[in-house]
Amino acid sequence: MNAILVTVVIVNIILALLFSLGAVPILVWVERRVAGFIQDRLGPNRCNIAGFRLGGLVQSFADMFKLVFKEDFRAGDIKEKFIFRISPVIVFVSAFLSFMVMPFADNLVIGDQTFLMQGLPIDFGILWFLALAGLSVYGIMLGGWSSSNKYSLLGSVRAGAQVISYEASMTLALISLLITYGSVHLVDIVNFQSGLIFGFIPAWGIVMQPLAAIIFITTAFAEANRTPFDIAEGESEIVGGYHTEYSAMKFGLFFVGEYIAMSASSAFIVTLFFGGYNIPWVGTQMLKEHFDIVMIAILIILPILSYKFRGWILKNNVWPKADDKRNNESKWLIRVLIMMNIVIILLFGYFLLFGVASTATNIAVALIQIATFAVKLLLMNFVFVWVRWTLPRFRYDQLQELGWKVLLPLSIANIFITALVVVIGA
Amino acid sequence: MIDTIFLILASFALFGAGCMIMLSNTVHSALGFIVTILALAGLYALLDASFLFMVQIIVYAGAIIALLLFVIMFLNIQQSHAPKEPSKYLFMVVSAIIMMPVDYLLFKAFYTITDIKNFSVTPKDFGDVKMLGGELFRNWLLPFEAISLLLLVALIGAVVMARKKERA
Repeated sequence: MNAILVTVVIVNIILALLFSLGAVPILVWVERRVAGFIQDRLGPNRCNIAGFRLGGLVQSFADMFKLVFKEDFRAGDIKEKFIFRISPVIVFVSAFLSFMVMPFADNLVIGDQTFLMQGLPIDFGILWFLALAGLSVYGIMLGGWSSSNKYSLLGSVRAGAQVISYEASMTLALISLLITYGSVHLVDIVNFQSGLIFGFIPAWGIVMQPLAAIIFITTAFAEANRTPFDIAEGESEIVGGYHTEYSAMKFGLFFVGEYIAMSASSAFIVTLFFGGYNIPWVGTQMLKEHFDIVMIAILIILPILSYKFRGWILKNNVWPKADDKRNNESKWLIRVLIMMNIVIILLFGYFLLFGVASTATNIAVALIQIATFAVKLLLMNFVFVWVRWTLPRFRYDQLQELGWKVLLPLSIANIFITALVVVIGA
Repeated sequence: MIDTIFLILASFALFGAGCMIMLSNTVHSALGFIVTILALAGLYALLDASFLFMVQIIVYAGAIIALLLFVIMFLNIQQSHAPKEPSKYLFMVVSAIIMMPVDYLLFKAFYTITDIKNFSVTPKDFGDVKMLGGELFRNWLLPFEAISLLLLVALIGAVVMARKKERA
């Protein structure tokens, strides 16, 4: 146990917390604003603290506070109090734990020590994700069952049937990936994807295994209980499904758990199919070797982007009345933006003038990769939201037919094709 | 440290098993079974058998018991449907006594086969995915395929049994 190890472990856990739990308000905000955009309306944009609206982001915090302070009501009919109480916790904890194995950056080298940049430093990430995706359904099933409500029971039975049928295709789609990558360690998988095929296409999973990517993304939607597979809560048919009887923060845990599960699925999809923390065409080694060029590129691009962003704020958030509180927000945001620019320019200028130690380069590369991962994660989450507000819900029989008659045979065929290609290629 | 974890996990496993056979509500029994299975998975993890640990959770906890719970909920079994077992605990004690010689045999076998003095886990990569896969598909390929064939037969059998009889 030394200080560096403890620091890196704590930083990793905080990063995992930020990406999962910390992302929930942002995801709720993205969901509502994108829904508004798709349905040609504005979405929440009024809630503010002293004029600060952040484009409506403050609304998510207000909603969370509302859930915390609401009355926690439980109907007298509910006999299974312990199971009723523990079900949201199961959903929340298993979604949260499944996020803990996502690698945010390549192995960090400080001095002579190497660290895995994951919340939990284990090397069988794929299996871990599958195990916890399977466990999270217990929360939904038990929550619905213990509610002593017909609609809740229907919701939980639907959830159970759905997860059992889609887990088969999901696992089989993963097997063809394992044949391609030859490892269950997520860092190995991401590093495999930093290569190129034919010399110019990044060897991302979606290029190498397009069929597995489609099957996996579909089943990931089902595992995360998102539309078009959200028959477990289908509000137009069975009220609220498994969480009909839940109120206040117990419902809040289900709600937050769903978003964390969505974020974890996105992180997993990004890691398996979209190169994880890799910037396309630029591997870890290349970043480290040409760090000077990277710094110069950032020094040029960052001020231009910031200037554009300032222009965007001034165009959209300037109000004619001088004492309008909303003008304050623009003023402060632009100040923060300028301060950030100055700090980064000073830091990189110092590095460029006086040279960088290898440890500093390693940490800076890790930071760049974490930022890349965050951007990809946000884009994948956006796809989840996009699909939710574009596609209608499947009917129960359609869902089962898709699972058993389309996805399962396709994934088995994919295993055969992959194995053939690997054997013939070798 | 490891001894403490072992004791905690083992007591959880026993507690779950006890719940499973003693409780009258089927869902509660299934939950007891899950506790046992998760505790067993923890014991595998304690032995460095990471693959077995994950597979235990994925296959048993994630799929089989979930299916079991689904069936229980689907059939909506009430307390009143369950058969009456007036002398349940008496049967348990009697069967425990009957099983005593077998237990003795097991203990005896355990103490003769293993060297208790240096009872430690073998190589570091003992339960690793690569190592296990290599063993399975190089040295034990035939038994492995035989088992998969057996499972296939069971699957087809289940489908045949469950199919609706056509009216003659």
